[in-house]
Amino acid sequence: MKNVNCLIIGAGISGVSIAYNLASKGMKNIHVVDKSYFTSGATGRCGAGVRQQWNTETNCLLAKKSIDFFEHAKEILQYPGNLEFKQEGYLILATSQQEHEQFIKNVDLQNSLDIPSSLLSKEQALAIVPHLNPDSFVSATFCPTDGHLNPFKMTEAYMLAAKRLGVTFSFFEEVKKINRDNHKIVSVETTKELYIVDVVVNAAGGYSAEVGALAGIDIPVYSENHEILATEPVERIQGPMVMSFSKNIYCQQVPHGAFLMGRTTPGQPHNHDVESTWQFLDEMAKTAIHILPLLGELRVVRQWGGSYNMSPDRQPIISATEDLEGFYIACGFSGHGFMFAPMTGLLLSEIILKENPTLPIAGLSLERFKHITDFEVEQSVV
Amino acid sequence: MRIKNHPILTFTQEEEIAFTFEGKSVKGNKGDTIASALSALGIMTLGHSIKQNRPRGFYCAIGNCASCNMVVNGVPNVRTCITLLEENMDVWRQMDKGVYK
Repeated sequence: MKNVNCLIIGAGISGVSIAYNLASKGMKNIHVVDKSYFTSGATGRCGAGVRQQWNTETNCLLAKKSIDFFEHAKEILQYPGNLEFKQEGYLILATSQQEHEQFIKNVDLQNSLDIPSSLLSKEQALAIVPHLNPDSFVSATFCPTDGHLNPFKMTEAYMLAAKRLGVTFSFFEEVKKINRDNHKIVSVETTKELYIVDVVVNAAGGYSAEVGALAGIDIPVYSENHEILATEPVERIQGPMVMSFSKNIYCQQVPHGAFLMGRTTPGQPHNHDVESTWQFLDEMAKTAIHILPLLGELRVVRQWGGSYNMSPDRQPIISATEDLEGFYIACGFSGHGFMFAPMTGLLLSEIILKENPTLPIAGLSLERFKHITDFEVEQSVV
Repeated sequence: MRIKNHPILTFTQEEEIAFTFEGKSVKGNKGDTIASALSALGIMTLGHSIKQNRPRGFYCAIGNCASCNMVVNGVPNVRTCITLLEENMDVWRQMDKGVYK
Protein backbone atom coordinates (compact mmCIF):
# COMPACT_ATOMS: atom_id res chain seq x y z
CA MET A 1 0.00 0.00 0.00
CA LYS A 2 1.24 3.43 -0.97
CA ASN A 3 -0.09 6.91 -0.33
CA VAL A 4 0.13 9.27 -3.29
CA ASN A 5 -1.27 12.74 -3.78
CA CYS A 6 -1.86 12.18 -7.45
CA LEU A 7 -1.92 8.99 -9.51
CA ILE A 8 -1.78 9.53 -13.26
CA ILE A 9 -2.94 6.60 -15.37
CA GLY A 10 -1.07 6.55 -18.68
CA ALA A 11 2.52 7.63 -19.40
CA GLY A 12 1.85 8.85 -22.94
CA ILE A 13 2.42 12.45 -23.93
CA SER A 14 -0.71 13.65 -22.05
CA GLY A 15 0.16 11.85 -18.82
CA VAL A 16 3.78 13.04 -18.74
CA SER A 17 2.76 16.62 -19.57
CA ILE A 18 0.18 16.62 -16.77
CA ALA A 19 2.74 15.15 -14.35
CA TYR A 20 5.34 17.77 -15.31
CA ASN A 21 2.89 20.68 -15.00
CA LEU A 22 1.55 19.55 -11.62
CA ALA A 23 5.07 19.01 -10.28
CA SER A 24 6.33 22.34 -11.59
CA LYS A 25 3.45 24.05 -9.76
CA GLY A 26 4.69 22.47 -6.56
CA MET A 27 2.58 19.36 -6.13
CA LYS A 28 4.48 16.56 -4.38
CA ASN A 29 4.16 12.79 -4.42
CA ILE A 30 2.93 12.29 -7.99
CA HIS A 31 3.11 8.80 -9.47
CA VAL A 32 2.49 7.76 -13.09
CA VAL A 33 1.54 4.19 -14.02
CA ASP A 34 1.38 2.67 -17.48
CA LYS A 35 0.15 -0.78 -18.44
CA SER A 36 2.87 -1.31 -21.04
CA TYR A 37 6.25 0.08 -22.16
CA PHE A 38 7.17 3.74 -22.62
CA THR A 39 5.29 5.32 -25.60
CA SER A 40 3.61 1.98 -26.37
CA GLY A 41 0.24 3.59 -27.05
CA ALA A 42 -0.98 6.28 -29.39
CA THR A 43 1.90 8.68 -28.64
CA GLY A 44 4.54 6.34 -30.04
CA ARG A 45 2.33 5.54 -33.02
CA CYS A 46 1.32 9.05 -34.05
CA GLY A 47 2.10 10.91 -37.26
CA ALA A 48 4.41 13.38 -35.45
CA GLY A 49 2.80 16.48 -36.96
CA VAL A 50 1.95 19.66 -35.05
CA ARG A 51 -0.49 22.14 -36.60
CA GLN A 52 -2.69 25.11 -35.81
CA GLN A 53 -5.02 25.08 -38.81
CA TRP A 54 -8.37 24.04 -37.30
CA ASN A 55 -11.95 25.15 -37.74
CA THR A 56 -13.07 25.37 -34.11
CA GLU A 57 -11.81 28.11 -31.82
CA THR A 58 -11.03 25.64 -29.01
CA ASN A 59 -8.72 23.51 -31.17
CA CYS A 60 -7.05 26.61 -32.69
CA LEU A 61 -6.24 28.00 -29.26
CA LEU A 62 -5.01 24.68 -27.85
CA ALA A 63 -2.77 24.24 -30.89
CA LYS A 64 -1.44 27.80 -30.99
CA LYS A 65 -0.43 27.83 -27.33
CA SER A 66 1.06 24.35 -27.63
CA ILE A 67 3.25 25.40 -30.59
CA ASP A 68 4.36 28.43 -28.55
CA PHE A 69 5.55 25.93 -25.92
CA PHE A 70 7.22 23.57 -28.42
CA GLU A 71 9.29 26.49 -29.73
CA HIS A 72 10.99 26.71 -26.32
CA ALA A 73 10.46 23.14 -25.07
CA LYS A 74 14.12 22.10 -25.24
CA GLU A 75 15.19 24.99 -22.99
CA ILE A 76 12.19 24.88 -20.64
CA LEU A 77 12.48 21.12 -20.07
CA GLN A 78 16.32 21.21 -20.21
CA TYR A 79 16.34 18.25 -22.59
CA PRO A 80 19.85 17.15 -23.60
CA GLY A 81 18.72 15.47 -26.85
CA ASN A 82 17.31 16.75 -30.11
CA LEU A 83 13.51 17.09 -30.23
CA GLU A 84 13.66 17.18 -34.05
CA PHE A 85 11.33 20.17 -34.06
CA LYS A 86 10.98 21.65 -37.51
CA GLN A 87 8.63 24.45 -38.49
CA GLU A 88 8.23 24.23 -42.23
CA GLY A 89 4.48 24.48 -42.23
CA TYR A 90 1.40 22.49 -43.14
CA LEU A 91 0.08 22.89 -46.66
CA ILE A 92 -3.59 21.90 -46.63
CA LEU A 93 -5.15 21.35 -50.04
CA ALA A 94 -8.68 22.33 -51.03
CA THR A 95 -9.90 20.00 -53.75
CA SER A 96 -13.30 21.56 -54.47
CA GLN A 97 -14.89 25.00 -54.59
CA GLN A 98 -16.90 24.08 -51.49
CA GLU A 99 -13.77 23.16 -49.54
CA HIS A 100 -12.05 26.33 -50.78
CA GLU A 101 -14.90 28.42 -49.34
CA GLN A 102 -14.72 26.58 -46.01
CA PHE A 103 -10.97 27.28 -45.94
CA ILE A 104 -11.59 31.03 -46.38
CA LYS A 105 -13.64 30.88 -43.16
CA ASN A 106 -11.03 28.74 -41.43
CA VAL A 107 -8.22 31.17 -42.24
CA ASP A 108 -10.35 34.11 -41.01
CA LEU A 109 -10.90 32.33 -37.69
CA GLN A 110 -7.23 31.31 -37.42
CA ASN A 111 -5.99 34.84 -38.20
CA SER A 112 -8.36 36.30 -35.58
CA LEU A 113 -6.55 34.08 -33.04
CA ASP A 114 -3.07 35.20 -34.21
CA ILE A 115 -2.38 32.00 -36.15
CA PRO A 116 -0.31 33.09 -39.19
CA SER A 117 -2.09 30.98 -41.82
CA SER A 118 -2.96 32.23 -45.28
CA LEU A 119 -4.90 31.22 -48.35
CA LEU A 120 -2.72 30.27 -51.33
CA SER A 121 -3.43 30.01 -55.04
CA LYS A 122 -2.45 26.85 -56.88
CA GLU A 123 0.69 28.59 -58.19
CA GLN A 124 1.73 29.74 -54.71
CA ALA A 125 1.23 26.20 -53.34
CA LEU A 126 3.33 24.74 -56.17
CA ALA A 127 6.11 27.18 -55.34
CA ILE A 128 6.26 25.69 -51.81
CA VAL A 129 5.85 22.01 -52.83
CA PRO A 130 6.89 21.78 -56.51
CA HIS A 131 6.21 18.05 -56.86
CA LEU A 132 2.46 18.44 -56.17
CA ASN A 133 0.19 17.23 -58.95
CA PRO A 134 -1.35 20.54 -60.11
CA ASP A 135 -4.53 18.74 -61.20
CA SER A 136 -5.18 17.29 -57.74
CA PHE A 137 -6.29 20.50 -55.97
CA VAL A 138 -7.80 23.95 -56.53
CA SER A 139 -6.21 26.04 -53.76
CA ALA A 140 -4.50 25.61 -50.40
CA THR A 141 -3.94 27.09 -46.97
CA PHE A 142 -0.50 27.33 -45.43
CA CYS A 143 0.71 28.04 -41.92
CA PRO A 144 4.51 28.39 -41.76
CA THR A 145 4.81 27.76 -38.00
CA ASP A 146 3.16 24.32 -38.13
CA GLY A 147 5.53 21.40 -38.40
CA HIS A 148 7.03 18.23 -36.96
CA LEU A 149 8.30 17.02 -33.61
CA ASN A 150 9.68 13.62 -32.58
CA PRO A 151 7.06 12.05 -30.28
CA PHE A 152 9.51 9.72 -28.51
CA LYS A 153 11.97 12.51 -27.74
CA MET A 154 9.24 14.96 -26.69
CA THR A 155 7.67 12.44 -24.29
CA GLU A 156 11.07 11.56 -22.87
CA ALA A 157 11.82 15.28 -22.40
CA TYR A 158 8.66 15.69 -20.30
CA MET A 159 9.33 12.50 -18.36
CA LEU A 160 12.91 13.42 -17.48
CA ALA A 161 11.84 16.92 -16.43
CA ALA A 162 9.05 15.46 -14.29
CA LYS A 163 11.48 12.99 -12.69
CA ARG A 164 13.82 15.84 -11.74
CA LEU A 165 10.85 17.41 -9.93
CA GLY A 166 10.29 14.18 -7.99
CA VAL A 167 7.61 12.47 -10.08
CA THR A 168 7.91 8.66 -10.08
CA PHE A 169 6.97 6.28 -12.91
CA SER A 170 6.20 2.60 -13.19
CA PHE A 171 5.63 0.62 -16.37
CA PHE A 172 3.97 -2.75 -17.06
CA GLU A 173 1.57 -1.99 -14.22
CA GLU A 174 -2.11 -2.08 -15.10
CA VAL A 175 -4.97 -0.45 -13.21
CA LYS A 176 -7.55 -3.10 -12.27
CA LYS A 177 -9.90 -1.35 -9.86
CA ILE A 178 -10.78 2.20 -8.83
CA ASN A 179 -12.49 2.46 -5.45
CA ARG A 180 -14.78 5.31 -4.51
CA ASP A 181 -16.63 6.29 -1.38
CA ASN A 182 -19.83 7.72 -2.77
CA HIS A 183 -18.71 10.81 -4.66
CA LYS A 184 -15.07 10.79 -3.66
CA ILE A 185 -12.19 8.78 -5.04
CA VAL A 186 -10.41 6.65 -2.42
CA SER A 187 -7.92 4.21 -3.87
CA VAL A 188 -6.65 2.53 -7.01
CA GLU A 189 -5.66 -1.13 -7.29
CA THR A 190 -3.16 -2.17 -9.92
CA THR A 191 -1.52 -5.46 -10.83
CA LYS A 192 1.30 -4.53 -8.42
CA GLU A 193 0.11 -2.09 -5.76
CA LEU A 194 -2.76 -0.49 -3.84
CA TYR A 195 -2.59 3.30 -4.01
CA ILE A 196 -4.43 5.49 -1.50
CA VAL A 197 -5.08 8.64 -3.50
CA ASP A 198 -6.44 12.18 -3.38
CA VAL A 199 -6.39 12.78 -7.11
CA VAL A 200 -6.56 10.35 -10.04
CA VAL A 201 -5.98 11.45 -13.62
CA ASN A 202 -7.31 9.33 -16.45
CA ALA A 203 -4.83 9.88 -19.30
CA ALA A 204 -5.17 6.35 -20.62
CA GLY A 205 -5.51 7.33 -24.29
CA GLY A 206 -7.17 4.51 -26.22
CA TYR A 207 -8.27 2.87 -22.97
CA SER A 208 -9.71 5.98 -21.28
CA ALA A 209 -13.33 4.82 -21.62
CA GLU A 210 -12.42 1.56 -19.82
CA VAL A 211 -10.54 3.43 -17.07
CA GLY A 212 -13.54 5.76 -16.71
CA ALA A 213 -15.82 2.74 -16.36
CA LEU A 214 -13.61 1.37 -13.55
CA ALA A 215 -14.43 4.57 -11.66
CA GLY A 216 -18.09 4.41 -12.65
CA ILE A 217 -17.76 7.42 -14.95
CA ASP A 218 -19.25 7.22 -18.43
CA ILE A 219 -16.98 8.93 -20.97
CA PRO A 220 -18.49 9.11 -24.48
CA VAL A 221 -15.33 8.19 -26.38
CA TYR A 222 -14.30 5.19 -28.44
CA SER A 223 -11.07 4.01 -30.07
CA GLU A 224 -10.45 3.13 -33.68
CA ASN A 225 -7.39 2.02 -35.62
CA HIS A 226 -5.64 4.55 -37.86
CA GLU A 227 -2.74 3.28 -39.95
CA ILE A 228 0.50 4.90 -41.09
CA LEU A 229 3.30 3.86 -43.42
CA ALA A 230 6.93 4.96 -43.66
CA THR A 231 9.19 4.96 -46.72
CA GLU A 232 12.94 4.52 -46.95
CA PRO A 233 14.86 7.71 -46.06
CA VAL A 234 15.87 9.89 -49.01
CA GLU A 235 17.43 13.33 -49.40
CA ARG A 236 15.15 16.24 -48.66
CA ILE A 237 12.29 16.65 -51.13
CA GLN A 238 9.46 18.24 -49.16
CA GLY A 239 9.49 20.87 -46.40
CA PRO A 240 5.87 21.10 -45.25
CA MET A 241 3.33 18.47 -44.30
CA VAL A 242 0.92 18.08 -47.23
CA MET A 243 -2.61 17.33 -46.13
CA SER A 244 -6.08 17.03 -47.60
CA PHE A 245 -9.26 16.32 -45.66
CA SER A 246 -11.30 15.57 -48.79
CA LYS A 247 -8.64 13.30 -50.33
CA ASN A 248 -8.05 11.73 -46.91
CA ILE A 249 -4.27 12.02 -46.60
CA TYR A 250 -1.51 13.57 -44.56
CA CYS A 251 2.07 13.13 -45.72
CA GLN A 252 5.32 14.62 -44.54
CA GLN A 253 9.06 14.02 -44.84
CA VAL A 254 10.56 13.78 -41.36
CA PRO A 255 14.05 15.21 -40.68
CA HIS A 256 15.67 11.75 -40.98
CA GLY A 257 14.45 11.61 -44.61
CA ALA A 258 11.60 9.08 -44.48
CA PHE A 259 8.11 10.02 -45.61
CA LEU A 260 5.33 9.28 -43.11
CA MET A 261 1.79 9.18 -44.39
CA GLY A 262 -1.58 8.21 -43.04
CA ARG A 263 -5.28 8.18 -43.82
CA THR A 264 -8.56 7.27 -42.18
CA THR A 265 -9.94 3.90 -43.15
CA PRO A 266 -13.71 4.41 -43.40
CA GLY A 267 -15.99 2.14 -41.41
CA GLN A 268 -13.40 1.04 -38.87
CA PRO A 269 -14.87 -0.89 -35.95
CA HIS A 270 -14.70 0.74 -32.51
CA ASN A 271 -12.07 -1.33 -30.74
CA HIS A 272 -8.40 -1.51 -29.74
CA ASP A 273 -7.11 -3.08 -32.95
CA VAL A 274 -3.71 -1.66 -34.02
CA GLU A 275 -2.89 -4.11 -36.83
CA SER A 276 -1.62 -3.23 -40.30
CA THR A 277 -3.57 -4.11 -43.43
CA TRP A 278 -2.73 -4.46 -47.13
CA GLN A 279 -5.92 -2.54 -47.90
CA PHE A 280 -4.45 0.52 -46.18
CA LEU A 281 -1.18 0.15 -48.09
CA ASP A 282 -3.08 -0.08 -51.37
CA GLU A 283 -5.36 2.91 -50.77
CA MET A 284 -2.62 5.03 -49.18
CA ALA A 285 -0.29 4.45 -52.13
CA LYS A 286 -2.98 5.39 -54.65
CA THR A 287 -3.81 8.65 -52.88
CA ALA A 288 -0.18 9.60 -52.25
CA ILE A 289 0.84 9.01 -55.87
CA HIS A 290 -2.16 10.97 -57.15
CA ILE A 291 -1.25 14.05 -55.09
CA LEU A 292 2.54 13.64 -54.91
CA PRO A 293 3.51 11.54 -57.97
CA LEU A 294 7.25 11.61 -57.20
CA LEU A 295 6.66 9.48 -54.10
CA GLY A 296 5.86 6.56 -56.41
CA GLU A 297 9.65 6.13 -56.76
CA LEU A 298 10.13 5.38 -53.05
CA ARG A 299 9.95 2.04 -51.28
CA VAL A 300 7.70 1.46 -48.31
CA VAL A 301 9.74 -0.03 -45.46
CA ARG A 302 7.16 -0.46 -42.72
CA GLN A 303 3.64 0.32 -41.56
CA TRP A 304 1.81 0.31 -38.25
CA GLY A 305 -1.49 1.21 -36.60
CA GLY A 306 -2.52 3.14 -33.52
CA SER A 307 -5.69 4.18 -31.73
CA TYR A 308 -7.47 7.46 -32.25
CA ASN A 309 -9.58 8.10 -29.13
CA MET A 310 -12.62 9.79 -30.67
CA SER A 311 -14.89 12.24 -28.86
CA PRO A 312 -18.35 13.25 -30.16
CA ASP A 313 -17.17 16.71 -31.32
CA ARG A 314 -13.60 15.71 -32.25
CA GLN A 315 -12.29 18.01 -29.54
CA PRO A 316 -10.55 16.83 -26.38
CA ILE A 317 -12.02 16.26 -22.94
CA ILE A 318 -9.78 18.00 -20.39
CA SER A 319 -11.98 18.05 -17.37
CA ALA A 320 -12.94 17.37 -13.78
CA THR A 321 -15.94 15.12 -13.16
CA GLU A 322 -19.11 16.43 -11.50
CA ASP A 323 -19.99 13.09 -9.98
CA LEU A 324 -16.66 12.08 -8.56
CA GLU A 325 -14.38 14.36 -6.56
CA GLY A 326 -10.71 13.81 -7.27
CA PHE A 327 -11.19 12.15 -10.67
CA TYR A 328 -9.90 14.05 -13.68
CA ILE A 329 -9.88 13.25 -17.37
CA ALA A 330 -7.67 14.03 -20.37
CA CYS A 331 -8.82 12.00 -23.35
CA GLY A 332 -10.85 12.05 -26.57
CA PHE A 333 -8.15 13.87 -28.51
CA SER A 334 -9.47 12.32 -31.73
CA GLY A 335 -6.00 11.80 -33.16
CA HIS A 336 -4.39 15.03 -31.97
CA GLY A 337 -3.29 14.46 -28.38
CA PHE A 338 0.39 14.76 -29.21
CA MET A 339 0.21 18.25 -30.68
CA PHE A 340 -2.05 19.58 -27.87
CA ALA A 341 -0.07 18.03 -25.01
CA PRO A 342 1.53 21.20 -23.58
CA MET A 343 -1.92 22.74 -23.10
CA THR A 344 -3.40 19.46 -21.87
CA GLY A 345 -0.86 19.44 -19.05
CA LEU A 346 -1.17 23.12 -18.26
CA LEU A 347 -4.99 23.27 -18.29
CA LEU A 348 -5.54 20.07 -16.33
CA SER A 349 -3.00 21.14 -13.70
CA GLU A 350 -4.87 24.46 -13.40
CA ILE A 351 -8.20 22.61 -13.06
CA ILE A 352 -6.79 20.24 -10.42
CA LEU A 353 -5.14 23.04 -8.42
CA LYS A 354 -8.22 25.29 -8.83
CA GLU A 355 -6.27 28.08 -10.53
CA ASN A 356 -7.63 30.42 -13.18
CA PRO A 357 -7.38 28.51 -16.47
CA THR A 358 -5.18 29.94 -19.24
CA LEU A 359 -7.94 29.22 -21.80
CA PRO A 360 -11.73 28.91 -21.49
CA ILE A 361 -12.36 25.32 -20.39
CA ALA A 362 -16.14 25.02 -20.73
CA GLY A 363 -15.71 23.66 -24.26
CA LEU A 364 -13.40 20.95 -22.95
CA SER A 365 -15.57 19.70 -20.09
CA LEU A 366 -17.03 16.23 -19.87
CA GLU A 367 -20.36 17.83 -19.02
CA ARG A 368 -20.69 19.53 -22.40
CA PHE A 369 -21.99 16.31 -23.90
CA LYS A 370 -24.75 16.10 -21.29
CA HIS A 371 -26.05 19.63 -21.71
CA ILE A 372 -25.58 20.35 -25.39
CA THR A 373 -26.60 18.13 -28.26
CA ASP A 374 -25.72 20.31 -31.28
CA PHE A 375 -22.10 21.04 -30.37
CA GLU A 376 -19.74 22.40 -32.98
CA VAL A 377 -17.83 19.50 -34.55
CA GLU A 378 -14.24 19.85 -35.72
CA GLN A 379 -14.17 19.02 -39.46
CA SER A 380 -10.44 19.45 -40.09
CA VAL A 381 -9.53 15.88 -39.22
CA VAL A 382 -7.87 13.05 -41.14
CA MET B 1 37.33 -12.96 -58.51
CA ARG B 2 35.68 -15.45 -60.83
CA ILE B 3 35.91 -19.23 -60.56
CA LYS B 4 37.30 -20.49 -63.84
CA ASN B 5 38.31 -24.07 -63.00
CA HIS B 6 36.17 -26.24 -60.77
CA PRO B 7 36.48 -30.04 -60.21
CA ILE B 8 32.80 -30.68 -60.88
CA LEU B 9 31.12 -27.59 -62.36
CA THR B 10 31.99 -25.98 -65.64
CA PHE B 11 31.78 -22.25 -66.14
CA THR B 12 31.42 -21.28 -69.76
CA GLN B 13 33.05 -18.05 -70.87
CA GLU B 14 30.19 -15.51 -71.21
CA GLU B 15 30.28 -12.60 -73.62
CA GLU B 16 31.42 -9.28 -72.18
CA ILE B 17 29.21 -6.28 -71.43
CA ALA B 18 30.69 -2.77 -71.43
CA PHE B 19 29.49 -0.26 -68.83
CA THR B 20 30.89 2.71 -66.91
CA PHE B 21 31.72 2.89 -63.22
CA GLU B 22 32.29 6.39 -61.82
CA GLY B 23 32.83 7.59 -65.39
CA LYS B 24 35.45 4.95 -66.33
CA SER B 25 34.77 2.34 -69.02
CA VAL B 26 34.84 -1.19 -67.55
CA LYS B 27 33.56 -4.65 -68.47
CA GLY B 28 31.39 -7.28 -66.86
CA ASN B 29 29.97 -10.57 -68.13
CA LYS B 30 26.57 -11.38 -69.50
CA GLY B 31 24.51 -12.76 -66.58
CA ASP B 32 26.26 -10.58 -63.99
CA THR B 33 24.35 -8.43 -61.58
CA ILE B 34 25.82 -4.93 -61.32
CA ALA B 35 27.31 -5.81 -57.92
CA SER B 36 28.81 -9.12 -59.08
CA ALA B 37 30.46 -7.37 -62.04
CA LEU B 38 31.96 -4.75 -59.73
CA SER B 39 33.07 -7.46 -57.29
CA ALA B 40 34.84 -9.28 -60.12
CA LEU B 41 36.61 -6.01 -60.94
CA GLY B 42 37.87 -5.82 -57.35
CA ILE B 43 35.60 -2.89 -56.43
CA MET B 44 34.58 -3.44 -52.81
CA THR B 45 33.11 -0.05 -51.86
CA LEU B 46 29.69 0.43 -53.45
CA GLY B 47 28.47 3.35 -51.34
CA HIS B 48 28.70 5.04 -47.97
CA SER B 49 26.60 4.78 -44.82
CA ILE B 50 24.02 7.49 -44.16
CA LYS B 51 25.03 8.72 -40.71
CA GLN B 52 28.77 8.10 -40.36
CA ASN B 53 29.73 8.02 -44.02
CA ARG B 54 31.54 4.69 -43.66
CA PRO B 55 32.23 2.50 -46.72
CA ARG B 56 29.50 -0.03 -47.56
CA GLY B 57 29.87 -3.04 -49.84
CA PHE B 58 28.39 -6.31 -51.10
CA TYR B 59 26.57 -7.88 -48.17
CA CYS B 60 23.26 -9.77 -48.24
CA ALA B 61 23.22 -10.40 -52.02
CA ILE B 62 19.43 -10.92 -51.99
CA GLY B 63 18.15 -7.33 -52.14
CA ASN B 64 17.23 -6.95 -48.48
CA CYS B 65 19.97 -5.01 -46.73
CA ALA B 66 20.39 -1.84 -48.84
CA SER B 67 24.19 -2.08 -48.46
CA CYS B 68 24.71 -2.19 -52.25
CA ASN B 69 22.42 0.72 -53.13
CA MET B 70 23.97 2.73 -55.98
CA VAL B 71 23.04 5.38 -58.52
CA VAL B 72 22.39 3.63 -61.85
CA ASN B 73 21.54 5.65 -64.96
CA GLY B 74 20.74 8.56 -62.64
CA VAL B 75 18.33 6.56 -60.47
CA PRO B 76 19.34 6.40 -56.77
CA ASN B 77 18.86 3.49 -54.34
CA VAL B 78 19.12 0.79 -57.01
CA ARG B 79 19.75 -2.59 -55.37
CA THR B 80 22.72 -3.57 -57.51
CA CYS B 81 23.00 -7.10 -56.10
CA ILE B 82 19.69 -8.09 -57.73
CA THR B 83 19.77 -5.85 -60.80
CA LEU B 84 21.18 -7.46 -63.95
CA LEU B 85 23.98 -5.64 -65.71
CA GLU B 86 23.08 -4.09 -69.07
CA GLU B 87 25.15 -2.65 -71.90
CA ASN B 88 26.29 0.98 -71.31
CA MET B 89 24.92 1.26 -67.78
CA ASP B 90 26.20 4.34 -65.94
CA VAL B 91 26.98 3.24 -62.34
CA TRP B 92 28.02 5.54 -59.49
CA ARG B 93 28.69 5.06 -55.79
CA GLN B 94 25.92 6.62 -53.73
CA MET B 95 27.19 9.13 -51.18
CA ASP B 96 23.81 10.29 -49.77
CA LYS B 97 20.29 9.01 -49.06
CA GLY B 98 19.33 9.37 -52.73
CA VAL B 99 18.31 12.50 -54.61
CA TYR B 100 14.89 12.37 -56.32
CA LYS B 101 13.72 15.05 -58.76
